[in-house]
Amino acid sequence: MDLNQALRTDAAALLSDGRARLVIGYRAGGAGDDAARRTPFFITDPARCDALVYDASCRQNLASYLRKPEVRARSLVAVVAPPPVMRSLVLLAAEAQVTDSLVVVLAVGEGVYHGVLDIAQTAALLREKYADLAIPAEVVREIERIAAMTAEERAAFWTAEFARCTRCYACRAACPLCYCTRCIVEKNVPQWISMAAAGHGNYAWNVIRAFHLAGRCTLCGACEAACPQGIPIMLLNGLAAEEAARAFDARPGYDPAEKPVIGSFKPDDKADFIK
Amino acid sequence: MNLIAADKLADLAAALAAAGYRVVAPVRDEEGAVHLKVWSAGDAIDTATIPANSAKEFLFPPSEVIGRYALDGRDFTPQEVRADPPRTVLLAVRPCDVAGLAILDAVFNWDYRDALYNARREATTIVALVCPASDAECFCTSVGGAPDSTRGADLVLQSADGGRRFVFSPVTEKGAAILKAAGSTLAEGEARLDPPASVPERFDAAAVAEWLGANFESPLWQEWGLACLGCGACTHVCPTCHCFDLQDEATRREAVRLRNWDSCALALFTAHAGGHNPRPTQTERWRQRVMHKFRYFPERFGIFACTGCGRCGRLCPAAVTMGEACRQIAEAASLLRRSSRSGCEGRKADTP
Repeated sequence: MDLNQALRTDAAALLSDGRARLVIGYRAGGAGDDAARRTPFFITDPARCDALVYDASCRQNLASYLRKPEVRARSLVAVVAPPPVMRSLVLLAAEAQVTDSLVVVLAVGEGVYHGVLDIAQTAALLREKYADLAIPAEVVREIERIAAMTAEERAAFWTAEFARCTRCYACRAACPLCYCTRCIVEKNVPQWISMAAAGHGNYAWNVIRAFHLAGRCTLCGACEAACPQGIPIMLLNGLAAEEAARAFDARPGYDPAEKPVIGSFKPDDKADFIK
Repeated sequence: MNLIAADKLADLAAALAAAGYRVVAPVRDEEGAVHLKVWSAGDAIDTATIPANSAKEFLFPPSEVIGRYALDGRDFTPQEVRADPPRTVLLAVRPCDVAGLAILDAVFNWDYRDALYNARREATTIVALVCPASDAECFCTSVGGAPDSTRGADLVLQSADGGRRFVFSPVTEKGAAILKAAGSTLAEGEARLDPPASVPERFDAAAVAEWLGANFESPLWQEWGLACLGCGACTHVCPTCHCFDLQDEATRREAVRLRNWDSCALALFTAHAGGHNPRPTQTERWRQRVMHKFRYFPERFGIFACTGCGRCGRLCPAAVTMGEACRQIAEAASLLRRSSRSGCEGRKADTP
């Protein structure tokens, strides 16, 4: 049985026998007539599972929907999850945002279907089969190119990129890890970050978001894909991920019991600010 | 006919820039993406691709200072914010973008005449491009537009001779001034106009508006609301979305009042200070966006607040799009009409 056939059968079974009340997957097409496009697909009727599709064109991270109250109200929610999304789910479990009583994983990979998994099984699968998920090579090359610039060149590069940001916050909405009910950019007593879509406010917003994802980002790329202005957000996230791995050995999304780098400290930290 | 070779549009931009205009044009970047941006020497103009952003930001910027105050301890002195916009040409903008300006005009001259917007509007000359190519997301013809509409244009630019040339036709005096500034980049001659893009009508907008009036509680809203991620991208690329937020920002010496783009897709848009939110989920937020464009705005101003440019559809990660929503609504409306008609006939047959 091929991937899609197996996925459809399992999804329909989950809905039919009541183990899940909602399946979130992908379907072909969407708006317009673009059949090559893959869009999120919400299913409550098992008969509609026939339209489920998974392939490499499925870019959106469906774990982002688990933040929405109207989705959480329909637990159990079955989510079609390729490896980066599985990692998001395991990290969300580590951060106490999802549990086995909210979500069940329909685990997929490139051309393979791994079955219906709970969070512990998802983490075990990731460690066994996808332990070497790395920052994409083209992102690493671009990070190195920018790292080789002088400080002035680098500042000019990012100033030009951030100048296009209109502060729509699509990056935040597309990211499953941006689940704060009130984002720091919206806190105005005091106002930490300028809301103006210009200059230092844009700089601060994009950099702070990268910091908040350091050691947490599972490099799914949904933020960059959602950005209407084509800002290379993954360069920031990739750099932060590299640094978190180098300094703290952070490997987010492989162990639901692991404390995230940004949410933990060690009393024996080698820096003395903690003491 | 005033003609220009298709590969000489950058020369025209240079001539207009030399004449003192800020030139906004569709520019292709290194990755092949096309954005409307302020043209500078060396930028490649691309008229074949629909730009990712609309022309809105050049008249109604994402963030602008509308008030300024000098601060000195506890004293503050209001300072004048002068409307002194640069003379601007929107070069080769599509009819759906030009149509968007009519919606902004209506809003910024409604119960208050907005000096900053209107000064920018008056300083702007519009060179409309007869739309050469559409895609599956386009639906201008469903909302009263057309690929070759010249409404609102000062000058019209149309592809000719199989894309080798453009023909310039001035519509207004402002447009004639552009021809003068263009100088020797244009030449007199004859050319055969290429046909405009063909955009099939996808729905009946009047039927959509009628359905909206009776279906505030339709289950369709929930279906779309589930998929909507609540990012504000559609509203920011939309040529007509005009909601803004006012923010005060201060340093020790100066405070500014800013008008920033806002978005009805965001939860904070309607969040009250006390914690209540009358639009608690994306279901209500998305419904508001459709209602505003096809019901509330036409009721107030007599035009739909959607020009069918299709940008929301092209970039929505979840494919929750205005065109598709309207198509589904029109379909639901026609099903309703059909069933109520057959219902009537049924009753008639029963009547002795």
